[in-house]
Amino acid sequence: MLEATLNLKLLEMCSKCGACFSICPSCMHIPGYDPRAVINDILDGNYEKWLTSRHIWQCLECHHCLEICYQHYGFENAMAALRTIAAKRGIHPTQLKRGWEMFVKTSRLGEPALPARKKLGLPEPKASGADEFKKLLSLLKEKREKKKK
Amino acid sequence: MKEFAVFWGCTIQARFPFIEKSTRIVLEAFGLPYRDIDGFTCCPEKSLVNNIDHAAFVLTAARNVALVDELGVDLVSPCTGCVSNLATVKCELNANPKEKSEVNSLLKEVGREFTGKSKLHHLVPFFHDAVGILAIKQRMKRDFSGMKIALHYGCHMIRPSHALRNDDPLNPQKFDNLIRAMGAESLQFLTKLMCCGQGLDRIDEHDKALHFARIKLRELKSIGADALVLCCPSCFLQFDNNQFLMEKEGEKFGIPVIYFTELLGLSMGYTAEELGMTAHRVEVEPFIKKWESMADRPPREEAIEAGLNGPNLIG
Ligand code: SF4
Ligand code: SF4
Repeated sequence: MLEATLNLKLLEMCSKCGACFSICPSCMHIPGYDPRAVINDILDGNYEKWLTSRHIWQCLECHHCLEICYQHYGFENAMAALRTIAAKRGIHPTQLKRGWEMFVKTSRLGEPALPARKKLGLPEPKASGADEFKKLLSLLKEKREKKKK
Repeated sequence: MKEFAVFWGCTIQARFPFIEKSTRIVLEAFGLPYRDIDGFTCCPEKSLVNNIDHAAFVLTAARNVALVDELGVDLVSPCTGCVSNLATVKCELNANPKEKSEVNSLLKEVGREFTGKSKLHHLVPFFHDAVGILAIKQRMKRDFSGMKIALHYGCHMIRPSHALRNDDPLNPQKFDNLIRAMGAESLQFLTKLMCCGQGLDRIDEHDKALHFARIKLRELKSIGADALVLCCPSCFLQFDNNQFLMEKEGEKFGIPVIYFTELLGLSMGYTAEELGMTAHRVEVEPFIKKWESMADRPPREEAIEAGLNGPNLIG
């Protein structure tokens, strides 16, 4: 599964580099956050233990590592791959899941605040694309089920 | 100028409608050809959606872009996350014909097509590039000379650079240029490009989110910033709301947080009330008061003149 989402050759270069460690805000300010350890474990085949770790969610997706990286790769790819695997197994922060559920149900992460809009003299909000969006999600689901068969 | 649709995003409309207010005020004041269109959904938010289902992330963003593609207009957003997410997906699909045709085969069933032709802009680089500094200066009634402003770009205004391609991702200049054009000093400080850390609030790590806000606010206090200026609702949430929460616990920073459109609106003569700034949680009063007191000072040229020709060391 990992091989499908990560370029192991690039990760191998990371294991010898670590340049982005010094620009990564989470590395600087969150004790124990160290993608270098994660990368080494992935290369050693020991990534399982990271799936339940808080650290993989503490990557802020700020893309600093991506931009400073001589391969335009970035620690973030390792963290994102592990998050994807963890989420597939149902391991994720509760708030994240709540957000996801709201998104699937309403197509948004919150509805326009109508009373406040009125007070500010803002126009009626435009119609959302919720119906079409839901149809698309169910088409996606169908397509996946067909593929499985 | 080409017509453009404004992509407000969920956070601004649900939590900070006053940001929509100040944005509309400046768009109107500049007479820009914007319109509101039906059918947008969440961009979608990357950390919530992409981590759980990449295909749903791509499909939703592609549909939003398809709406502007069809109308033949561009897109401008005052939300940093929205632009970055939409641009990331647009770049991924444009670079990947197979994925693009798969996405389009689904979109076709709801009568849409992603072509990826429309341009997607963040409001700040859009003002810099398309509106231009000259036009801004012409409309300004009063500048901010003497005010010290700390800018927070917000990671996703400029990164990932392969998708946004609007400024230097590690040494951006456009927001600075705009602030300087408005006469303020743009402070240079250690944590200028540091991520706001709001993402930590979305993964049940509120204390760490506060800590990230604290690091920057502390530095700003120590260098005497009059305000933190930004253009992202997430960053706004982080520095306004979370600063307020820390203040309630007795940790006072007193750094007003001002949206780019609010600052621009003030310089054009709109009042803080008209711009909806009274809805901020951290008081903007100190900034406005200091700015007003500056108005009583003679303009810089006159002050220099007086210093040269008035009483001096020689007598
Ligand atoms: S994207 Fe994640 S790993 Fe990369 S610098 Fe930002 S916080 Fe660190
Ligand atoms: S992501 Fe790039 S900069 Fe960071 S360790 Fe890997 S190779 Fe080095």
